[in-house]
Amino acid sequence: MPARWGFVISAKCLIAVVACVLLAGCGPSVNRYLLIEASLRAHDPKAADAIVQQDEKEYGEKSRVLYGMDRGLLLQLAGDYQQSNAVLEQAEDELDRLYTRKIRTETLAFMTSDMALPYEGDPYEQVLINVLKALNYAVLGQWQDALVEARRIDHRLNVLSDRTKEKNAYREDGFARYLSGILYESTGDVNNAFIAYRNAYETFESTRAWSHTAVPSQLRADLMRTAEALHLTQELAEYQRLFPDTRWESSQALQQLAQVVVISYNGRAPRKEDQFLDLPISLDALQLVLLNRGFSQANRHSNRSVDTVLYGLNGRVVRVALPRLVPQKTHVSVDTVSLISDNGSRVTLNTELVHNVTDLADKALSERMAGITVKALARAATKFAAAEGATRGAQQAAGRDAAPWVGLLVGLLTKGLAVASEEADKRSWQTLPDEIHLARVWVPAGHYQVQSQPTAGLHDPLKPEAMRTLSLGPGETAVLIQRVMP
Amino acid sequence: MIVMHQARMALVALVILSVAGCAQETKITRVDSGVVTDLSGRWNDTDSRIVAESMVKEALEYPWLNTFSGSKHRQPVVVVGTILNSSHEHIDVNTFVADLERELTNSQKVTFVVGKGDREELRTERKEQAMYAREDTQKAPGKEIGADYMMKGTIATILDEADGTKAVFYQVDLQMVDLESNAKVWFGQKKIKKVVEKKRSIF
Repeated sequence: MPARWGFVISAKCLIAVVACVLLAGCGPSVNRYLLIEASLRAHDPKAADAIVQQDEKEYGEKSRVLYGMDRGLLLQLAGDYQQSNAVLEQAEDELDRLYTRKIRTETLAFMTSDMALPYEGDPYEQVLINVLKALNYAVLGQWQDALVEARRIDHRLNVLSDRTKEKNAYREDGFARYLSGILYESTGDVNNAFIAYRNAYETFESTRAWSHTAVPSQLRADLMRTAEALHLTQELAEYQRLFPDTRWESSQALQQLAQVVVISYNGRAPRKEDQFLDLPISLDALQLVLLNRGFSQANRHSNRSVDTVLYGLNGRVVRVALPRLVPQKTHVSVDTVSLISDNGSRVTLNTELVHNVTDLADKALSERMAGITVKALARAATKFAAAEGATRGAQQAAGRDAAPWVGLLVGLLTKGLAVASEEADKRSWQTLPDEIHLARVWVPAGHYQVQSQPTAGLHDPLKPEAMRTLSLGPGETAVLIQRVMP
Repeated sequence: MIVMHQARMALVALVILSVAGCAQETKITRVDSGVVTDLSGRWNDTDSRIVAESMVKEALEYPWLNTFSGSKHRQPVVVVGTILNSSHEHIDVNTFVADLERELTNSQKVTFVVGKGDREELRTERKEQAMYAREDTQKAPGKEIGADYMMKGTIATILDEADGTKAVFYQVDLQMVDLESNAKVWFGQKKIKKVVEKKRSIF
């Protein structure tokens, strides 16, 4: 009788433990990003930022960088540029600290999942931290600080380029270089502007195959204008030969005008989800996996508990979790922004694609996929071996009579745990847009009303309050930021 | 019995580990402001102080000061112009400029007048005095001292980094420009080089 009671208690405990493990593994931030998206659609970026702020504990110590990234963008959209810079600076400092890896954390991650590792972000996300800070400083009119960020972008990309041997990998950033050029030119440093434009042009050209981003026509004009201003006749002739249809004006003609730069964040960045590979290591396990796959979709959280119990009881299925990218493409190909002056004249700007975040995320994941897969397989094998060892050890300790029950229980617990704890690292900077668009125009100094034409069937673009009117002096530059959903 | 003993041992080990995990607290120690505290490798108070000290020494040693005092029989009046930050860091140049101004003013050899930004505030105050203050205490306009020299400068950095080792080279250039002739009468320079090494892994 006591033995039977013992079994009943153990079964309850077992269910509780399995439930805890499942709950722990099933509490990702899916709802958080849905709520953020809803707030952005409702033109309320402050509420979106409040959602992230409330979730600070859920981000946890391992995702401090992600917390700063997510908040940094939302605060920028809310028009709180100083606070946005403060959180992005913290994220950058944390990133710096993460260069030193902790062996115990790596070991723990190897035994559980990559979610136990601190989030560093992909290289393109790290560069975007500085890009966002540069934009914040530019909007605030702190041009020298914006240039500090341009120099940091240059340094970050140089280090990345030295570290990445693969020529076709992400080792340069066309948009970051282009923005740096705009910042340099806006502060009168035409020489550095030309170098940045040239780097941007070469990057857009060399990464076109996977980034699907053509050289912006505005960049072509910028190259010819700065080449002419620097009296680089050979380069100017070369660019004129390459871009015969591009119209451009000389620096001298633009000197007394004011400049408006529009940055449009369109759509939503891709998200990541688990892709489970269930590897049977016996014939009956193969039947079970095939049967289970026939009934359920592996990625659903409700099905993961069923999988855990089934595979735990069978004890001959090794689960490997890999991340998979789910694009959330925008339907907006061009944004139209109008500047209406006091006398009623209208200047219309059409934006161009300069940064394809989804393709960058895809490239970054595919570059890391081989490493992730090898690690996931090794982890799954280690977990299975440990569970097998624990089951056999418990059977031996329990004695001949109780061995079958104990084996079943411990097997269910340990192998179920191995299956349940298997989870891919699905973290990414999800407050980013799908695409970043840019437009640049020179207008006579004066006051302007800013109007964005909403694309048919879509919401009005979200613009910080202060960006609905502009007051520009000769030679001044204004940066306008807007978010278009979806 | 053995099982019980092992269980107790495990419990004790768990408690020790938990306590060890809670032992990290914020620790604050007061130190002298002259103590070198290089924590991140970035520009800090020590760099600011070193640059100011070195620049003051140079500025007072060079002949421009005596040449001016000898010919005009008074201290030169200096205004601080733009100190351009063309580095990779958001450096607050005001800290070492304030150090510099203080040291040079206290040496009784140079008179500083306020720069462009602060002048507006003072002029507004004078205008308000003219309207609201008692007549015998009002300060009249048109009595500001015109500067003889403008101090301008730049802070630049050169970075080199590979495999967790970063070499940072700071160069601070200051120059004293004669406001009448645009001639550069003094050129001060200070270079600081740091090597920041980061371990790739720790336990």
